[in-house]
Amino acid sequence: MPPKVDREKCDGCKAQQEPLCEQVCPGDLMTLGEDGKAYCRMPRDCWDCMSCTKACPVGAIETRIPYQLGYHVAKLIPLMGTNTITWTCIDINGKVERFRYVNRGRLD
Amino acid sequence: MDGPSSKIGLFVWDQGGRLGRAIDLAFLLENLSRAKGIGHCSIVEDPLAPGGLSPVTEGLEKGEFGRVLWVGPFSLEQQEVLRQQLAKAGLNPFLQEWCDLEEQGVCDGEVDQEARQRKALVLVQMALARTRLLEPLVPVEIPASQSVLIVGAGVAGLHAAVSLARLGKRVHLVEKESGVGGKVASLHRFYPRLCDPLCGLEFALQALIGSEMVEFHTLSRVTSVDGGRGNFHVRLTKAPRYVSEDRCNGCGECSRVCPVAIPLTSEGHRSKEYLHALTVRAIHPASPMPFPSAYVIERAYCPPDCEECLKACPSSAVNLEQEPRELELSVGAIIVATGWDPYPLNRVEEFGYGAYPNVITNLDMERVLSSNNRPPRTIGFVQCVGSRDDRHLPYCSSVCCSVTLKQVLYLKQKAPDAHCYVFYQDIRSPGFQEELYQKLKETEGVTFVRGMPSTVRPHGDTGRLRLRVEDTLSGREVNIEVDLLVLAGGMIPSRESEELAGILGLPRNSLGFFESHLQCHPEESQRSGIYVAGCCREPMNVAASIESARHAAMEALPFLNGSVLIKPMYPVVDKTKCDKCKRCMEECPFGSFYFDEDGFPTPHLGRCRQCGNCVGICPLGAISLRHLTMKQMAAQIQAASASFMGKEEPTVLAFLCQNDAYWAAREAVKRGMGVPPNVLFIKVPCAGYVNNALIADALALGIDGVLIAGCEDGQCHYVKGNQLVRKRSDDLSDKLRKMMIEPDRVRFVNLEIRDSAKYAKVMRLFVQELKAMGLNPFKI
Repeated sequence: MPPKVDREKCDGCKAQQEPLCEQVCPGDLMTLGEDGKAYCRMPRDCWDCMSCTKACPVGAIETRIPYQLGYHVAKLIPLMGTNTITWTCIDINGKVERFRYVNRGRLD
Repeated sequence: MDGPSSKIGLFVWDQGGRLGRAIDLAFLLENLSRAKGIGHCSIVEDPLAPGGLSPVTEGLEKGEFGRVLWVGPFSLEQQEVLRQQLAKAGLNPFLQEWCDLEEQGVCDGEVDQEARQRKALVLVQMALARTRLLEPLVPVEIPASQSVLIVGAGVAGLHAAVSLARLGKRVHLVEKESGVGGKVASLHRFYPRLCDPLCGLEFALQALIGSEMVEFHTLSRVTSVDGGRGNFHVRLTKAPRYVSEDRCNGCGECSRVCPVAIPLTSEGHRSKEYLHALTVRAIHPASPMPFPSAYVIERAYCPPDCEECLKACPSSAVNLEQEPRELELSVGAIIVATGWDPYPLNRVEEFGYGAYPNVITNLDMERVLSSNNRPPRTIGFVQCVGSRDDRHLPYCSSVCCSVTLKQVLYLKQKAPDAHCYVFYQDIRSPGFQEELYQKLKETEGVTFVRGMPSTVRPHGDTGRLRLRVEDTLSGREVNIEVDLLVLAGGMIPSRESEELAGILGLPRNSLGFFESHLQCHPEESQRSGIYVAGCCREPMNVAASIESARHAAMEALPFLNGSVLIKPMYPVVDKTKCDKCKRCMEECPFGSFYFDEDGFPTPHLGRCRQCGNCVGICPLGAISLRHLTMKQMAAQIQAASASFMGKEEPTVLAFLCQNDAYWAAREAVKRGMGVPPNVLFIKVPCAGYVNNALIADALALGIDGVLIAGCEDGQCHYVKGNQLVRKRSDDLSDKLRKMMIEPDRVRFVNLEIRDSAKYAKVMRLFVQELKAMGLNPFKI
């Protein structure tokens, strides 16, 4: 399922040539529309890797969970710290679980 | 870092024994002595007393530790003294850190001793976490030019030049006209002393001509500027004068033979009646003031193939084929004094300007007054034309009332039987000018009518004007006939200001004037090393312009000393993380970022004011201030996450702007205003420094609430840091809502420096609400 872009929040990364989601997408799927807002140009090719969701500086992108994993209420939301990602996982019954991971890469 | 020098020396100064009474210091020290990286840990007597520093210097010599953490209520001055003293013992000033337990409320007697003890430990551990990551830094010295560029040779520009030339600085004075003097040179008299402005300007000019330090660039414009304070590279274009400045001796033979006369009237005005004598030849002396002494040719007016002046010139100075020239300068600072233009009064239709020949502006009136002709018998003055008016200029130009009073006074001196009517809404005669107003009110033949003319019509064929006015004081309608109507129009920023704003990247306010911190640093523009003086900043009179010019010169002086010392707290961009999204470039309030050769945004050290807004804005956390890195911050937050108040009590982490909010908070604790003990705070250079990743860190580590305190809108020391962080925390709140976390856990408040009571109240409320919300769900 493709990432959903909140068109009110997305500022097209200030109309620079490549917004962050475009730079980070491994499939080169995200791009800016004519209105200066980001969108996924080939939804079927998206792997749900969530790179764009993590990268968006204004929190405008949400990854929709594939229906095999959870119906539309289900959500998986990352919160990026300086060196951690904290995940909030909401299942179809509204049950919330949270996980924290410390990045294993270089610290600085 | 090599072995011993990375160890920390921790010293506790228990000033007045307050700390010892509040907590068990021995227990605290025992706990801390086991902490990571501690090389020495002890209580010291007053370190500022003679010999009080000896335990520290001895430890440094023995190599027990290489960085110092002071615990105690050190004031900023005391910190500075310690920095200097220990620098003598070989300790880098940036390897010291201070931790004041008192200002964080550890001595608050109403809190349970256990909690106080734990809070003290957490606070010292936060400071320790930061101290471990401190790096030795040295100020950067960048070589700087010793000359200065002044744009605009009006009264402000000339006086700034005089000041700087006197101080031995090389001055480049750029003027778009053929001569110096600006608007003031075209005035007849100026208040309060009613002397001829040329006298005052001449005085300044004499000082400059005698000095070798000043170079005049007339008919020139700035075309590009790059670099930063200390090292600006400026390009000028000099339009052709068609007369050699070296050869022309100003004899005036050329003017006598020139066949073209150019009328000198305001733009868009067809009146010649009162101004008819005022024409110049196409080749004329430099204007507004005849300096430089060389003549100038207005080629646009020359008839084709006319070479009369060329033939007449005895010193063969005329060169009709001259081309524009380019010039490059290197200067340390720039003073912008581009002045004002009169508001175009043809936009104000109701008073007949442009339609009737005897409706003129107050600038034209200066010319009428300076001519030798007898002034007309009855004259009307209309105040606030186009000023304080939503349709035109919303502001008061502050000088027009005094200008009219001055003109009336001079008119009455010249022609005592003349009758003047002044139509006004309010007479604004600030300060001593009130005296002039009172005097004129008493004068015979001067009538002040409170009300604006509703219609202005010609009266038959007499050439006079008939005005219909409602006198709002008596409530009656009056009809008045005048020979001449003078409109007091307002000031707008000159066209050159607009042009220059683009070239220098200088922000302007909604009215078109250059932005500055109008109160404490009125001459400082929002670009480092560029100063604004005179009417391009706000409407002001001649005296205020001169003052502001002199002040701007003083402000510019530090960058003209051959080198500029930059504090080593500037931002650095981590190139392995940065993906060139350019947000820092967009949002930097001072436009200090540029692209380096690899295309990475890099701060220009000369332009940067080290506010840290770039740190806050970076979506990847790739930018750090050198003495306040993201890593140091993250470590501090991690240390803060230990719960010290007991399991059920919420913990609040506050990021306080060190300019205002920090002092408010400090005062609130000191005066016992009831700040809840649940609060820990961290000082930041500007609220805009707080990156969303830091807030996320705090929440993810189990801190229950995060509060960011910045200045009131419009009071931010760094223009808009408070607005930037508020926008970002709004984005974060939306995200938290989605994550089923109360978005109210992150909040933003505006605090002024005296808002201690507000701070305490906000905190009490926040803690209460957090209790109601329950614990942070991230406490995993």
